[in-house]
Amino acid sequence: MNFALIFLIIIFSISLFFYGKSKTRSLALQNNLKLNALPKFYGYYLVLWCSIPSLVFLLIWTLFEPIIIKSIIIDNAAKLGANISDKNEANLIYEKIKAIHLGTYFGDIDNILQQSALSYSKFIGLFTNSKIVLIFSVIIGSILYSLKKIKNNNKARDDVEIILKGLLFVSSLIAILTTLGIIFSLLFESIKFFSVINIFDYLFGTNWSPQRAFVRDASSITVAEYEELKDAFGFIPLIAGTSFIALIAMFVAVPIGLFSGIYMAEYASTKIRRISKPIIEILAGIPTVVYGFFAALTVGPFFRQFGESLGLTVSSESALAAGLIMGIMIIPYISSLSDDVINSVPQSLRDGSYAVGATKSETIKQVVIPAALPGIIGSVLLAVSRAIGETMIVVMAAGLAANLTINPLESTTTITTQIVMILVGDQEFDSPKTQSAFALGLTLFIATLILNYVAQRAVKKYREKYD
Amino acid sequence: MSDIKIKSKNLNVYYGNKQALFDVNLDLNEKEVTALIGPSGCGKSTFIRCINRMNDVIDICKVTGNIEIDGIEINSKELDVVSLRERVGMVFQKPNPFPKSIYDNISYGPKIHGKGESKNELDEIVENSLRKAALWEEVKDRLNEPGTGLSGGQQQRLCIARAISVNPEVILMDEPCSALDPIATAKIEELIDELKKTYTIVIVTHSMAQAVRVSQKTGFFHLGKLIEVGKTEKIFKNPDNKMTQDYITGRFG
Repeated sequence: MNFALIFLIIIFSISLFFYGKSKTRSLALQNNLKLNALPKFYGYYLVLWCSIPSLVFLLIWTLFEPIIIKSIIIDNAAKLGANISDKNEANLIYEKIKAIHLGTYFGDIDNILQQSALSYSKFIGLFTNSKIVLIFSVIIGSILYSLKKIKNNNKARDDVEIILKGLLFVSSLIAILTTLGIIFSLLFESIKFFSVINIFDYLFGTNWSPQRAFVRDASSITVAEYEELKDAFGFIPLIAGTSFIALIAMFVAVPIGLFSGIYMAEYASTKIRRISKPIIEILAGIPTVVYGFFAALTVGPFFRQFGESLGLTVSSESALAAGLIMGIMIIPYISSLSDDVINSVPQSLRDGSYAVGATKSETIKQVVIPAALPGIIGSVLLAVSRAIGETMIVVMAAGLAANLTINPLESTTTITTQIVMILVGDQEFDSPKTQSAFALGLTLFIATLILNYVAQRAVKKYREKYD
Repeated sequence: MSDIKIKSKNLNVYYGNKQALFDVNLDLNEKEVTALIGPSGCGKSTFIRCINRMNDVIDICKVTGNIEIDGIEINSKELDVVSLRERVGMVFQKPNPFPKSIYDNISYGPKIHGKGESKNELDEIVENSLRKAALWEEVKDRLNEPGTGLSGGQQQRLCIARAISVNPEVILMDEPCSALDPIATAKIEELIDELKKTYTIVIVTHSMAQAVRVSQKTGFFHLGKLIEVGKTEKIFKNPDNKMTQDYITGRFG
C-alpha cells in the first residue's frame, strides 16, 4: 500500500518537473517577462512541493497508525470484558486479534476476540481509506499552492536553495541524533549495571569471571548473591590485557610504519611511491577476520613450536601472536598518515637545512621529523585507538580467560573479546553479566574518545603552524 | 679591483627538457656585493643555486659547464657537497627558520660540521652570528623561544645569522627582502653593507633601487642568458645593451 503511494508520488513529481519547466517557459514567452530563475528551478520547486509534504505526512501516518489502532482495540476489548491487567496480556490479546484478522489464528476464538477482530478489520479499512484520501488532498493542496506561486513568477531559485539546505540539515541531524542515541543507550545500561555492581569494584577489581554471575534478575538480587558476584567484574585484567596487546602491536607498527612513511615521503621516487603506497594501504583493506585466522592458525602455532624447541612454554593463543598480527594490520594507518604529514613539511625548511651543509638523513632527523612530530604523534594515537578497539584478531588469537599477566607467551584477553563472549548466544537481558557488556562498551568508548580527541588536537596544532 | 672569487664558464642548466641557463660566463669578485637582476623566470635564482649545488636536490635538474671557487671546480661528482655548502651559505626568499628555538636555529649548522664541541664555544658562535646579523640585541633574552615567533624581518636576519654560523666565505641571497616591509628591508640592506667586509655576497633582487643601493657589480639576465654585466654604476647609468636599458627603465619585465 505504502509502496504504491510512494510510487505515485514519484510519478507525480517527475511529470510536474517537466510541466513546471515548460509552463514557466511558455509563460515567459507569452507575457514577454524575465523569469526570476531558470525554468528548471520551477520544475524543482514543484517536485519538492509535491513530494516533501506528502512523504512527511505518509511517514508520520505510518508511524502512528498502529499505535492508535492498538489503543482503540485494546480499550474496546477491555470494555467488552477481556481480562487485561498488564502490558504483556494486552500485547498477547492484540497479537491474537491481528492473527484472527489475517486468518492465521488456530486457537479457540471466544466472543470478545471475534468482535475485536471484526472491529480491527473495520478500523484497518477505515484508516487505509482515510490515509489515501488525506494523502491525495495533501498532494493536490501543495501542488495547487506551488502552481499559484509559479504563475506569480516567484523567486523559485531562492526557495529551492532554502528547501535543499533544510534537507541537508535534517540529514546531518539524523546522523548526530543516532550517535547520541547510541551513547545514551550505553550510558543507561551501564548505569543499571553500576547500580548492582559498585563502580569501584568494577574499576579496581583484579578478577574478571562474569560467568559466575548467572543471576536471573538484577533487581531482585540478595545480599548473599551480591557478596558472591561483586568481585566477578574486575576491570583491571581486561584493561591490562588490552593495553598489553596494543603495546605489542605498537612495537611492531610504529617503527615499521614510521620508517616506511619516511621512505615514501623522502626517498622513494615518484614511480616507486605510486606503486607501493596503494600496496601498503591494501593491508588496511584486508578484513580483520582474515588477520584473525592467520594469527590463530599460522602465527600462534608457529610461536608455540618455536618456543617449544627453545624449551619455553608457549600457549597457542598468545598475546604475542595477536599483538604481532594487529601491529601488521595497523602499519598502513601509521605509514600513510606520517607520509602525508612529512610531505606537508615545507620544502623551504629542507632547503634551509641543506644550505648549511646538512645531509639528507641529518635533515630528516633534525628538521623534518621534529617539524612533523605533532602529526606523527597524532597518527600513532589514532593507531592506538584502532588497536584497543580491534575485536576480531583478539577474539580468535588472544584467548578468552582473563589472565593478569605480563608474559607475552601466555594467553590473555581484551575488553572487546569479553564483550563478544558475553553477548554471544542466548542472554538474559536483565542479568548483570549482560549489562557488564554495556559497561565495558562505555569504558572502551570513553578511552577511544579521549585518544581520538588528543590525536586530533595534535594534528590540528601541527596544521595551524604551516597553513 | 678585487680578486675573482667565483668564476662560471659556459654554464648550462636544464630542467628536464627545458634549458634554463645558456652558456653563462660570470665572474664574481671577492668581498663585494654582486646583484643579479632580470624578469621572473630568467634564471637568476637557478644561477646562484648552482654556486652551492642546491640544484642537486631537484631530480630532473642537470648542470653542465664549470663553476670555480678560488680556482677549484665545484661542478664535479668528486666534490664534497657538504663542505661546499659550509663555504657557501644561502638565504632564501621566504624566511625559513626551523621550528626550533632561536639558539638551536643558529647552533644547528655548527653542530652538523662538528664545530663548537663545548657549550661555551657554541654559545660564542651563536652570539657572534647573531651580532653579525644585527639581531643579538633584540633576541639575547629569549634565545630559547621558537624562531618562528619572530617578526618577518627578524626571521630573515635569523636566517642570515644561520648562514653565517658555519663561517662561510660566500653568502647567496635569493630575493631576501621580497617578503619584508620597507623598514625591515632597510635593516637587511644595512646589514649586507656591513657583511660585505667579510663575505662575498651574491644577491638576486627584483628591486632596481635595491641593486643600486647594495651592490658594486650587477648582472642582467634575460631568458636564461646573461645579457650584460658590469659595475653597478655603469649598468644603471649607461648600459651598453638596449635590453638592459629597457629593463632598468621599466619598459619590460
